[in-house]
Amino acid sequence: MANHVNTAPAHVGEIPKPNTGWIWKTFFVLVGITALEFVFVFAMDPSTLRNSIFIILTIFKAFFIVAEFMHLKHETKGLIWSIMIPMALLIWLLVALVTEGNAIGAAVDNIVS
Amino acid sequence: MSTISTTQTIPDSALDKPRTGTWDGGNEPFKASYGKLMMWFFLLSDAFTFAAFLTTYGLIRHRYAAFDEKIHGAFKFSTDYWPVPDKVFNAFPGLHGMDVPLGFVALMTMILIFSSVTMVLAVEAGHRMDKADVQKWLLWTILFGATFLSSQAWEWSHFIGGHDEPTIMADGTRFFGANLTMNQYGPVLFADLFFFITGFHGTHVFSGVCLLVYCFIATTNGTFEKRGHYEMVEKVGLYWHFVDLVWVFVFTFFYLV
Repeated sequence: MANHVNTAPAHVGEIPKPNTGWIWKTFFVLVGITALEFVFVFAMDPSTLRNSIFIILTIFKAFFIVAEFMHLKHETKGLIWSIMIPMALLIWLLVALVTEGNAIGAAVDNIVS
Repeated sequence: MSTISTTQTIPDSALDKPRTGTWDGGNEPFKASYGKLMMWFFLLSDAFTFAAFLTTYGLIRHRYAAFDEKIHGAFKFSTDYWPVPDKVFNAFPGLHGMDVPLGFVALMTMILIFSSVTMVLAVEAGHRMDKADVQKWLLWTILFGATFLSSQAWEWSHFIGGHDEPTIMADGTRFFGANLTMNQYGPVLFADLFFFITGFHGTHVFSGVCLLVYCFIATTNGTFEKRGHYEMVEKVGLYWHFVDLVWVFVFTFFYLV
């Protein structure tokens, strides 16, 4: 049973008041960023700059969901790093395969024309 | 078990005690329970699965030309270039024939973010051992999750059924909508990726709703109350937020970029 969570004795009597301020704050940040994304999608023509803005805003949103809602910010450093370091591999995967996609496109178009 | 152990008298020294030494399992470097850690590592592996899907999308999208008004003229669906998402996803239930670019997907995004909020509220209520509040917020989360799934069903049926105007295919036939081998929007793989990525996400949402229903029943029966903690709600919460997180990325890469 050593692995079980802090088995605090079942409460007797009063239930504490909810503390939900931070939850709603995170919610408004997420809604705000999403609204901003919609401004950019209609106000700007597609370009590398616009895509970069979207990716940065998405990473912001991901940060708020993971850090606050999933509570990762308040876990130990070891846990944070064991989740974040493997994720770095994905950046490599994405860059490598998008480049590959451009190369395949160029090669196929050469054969066709 | 318990009847046996209470009838026999075993001296305290003979009982197997949990070990407490640093290298005996007494050390808890992550200060998190076994179940929560395993949920985190499952989610990490699941993140890799979704990342593989989205990276595939990136690869295939870059393999095809991007739409450019200067080269291709006014936008129309064509297999020569990747479709512009605003032109594909511009329908809204009840507003037939109107052009509402990304309107419905914006609503779906809001529903999912909102369900995430009600989920945290349920977890927070669990920390306070407030059974009634856990029930209330779990029910809201189930409701939003089910709404999201229904929205996705509508989105799929519209995508499959197609727009009012058919696309004239290469062989001269008129074609509406999409299936796995043909679609009116652009390259074949566009529809395939739509089905696989949003479908895989939708499957996750569905599993999440099932887990939430289980949590709601167990909460109502007082299972967690008796157990002394609502950790199950917390673990399902982690999963649910992850599903919301994946949608944030699907939304950006499939609908915005």
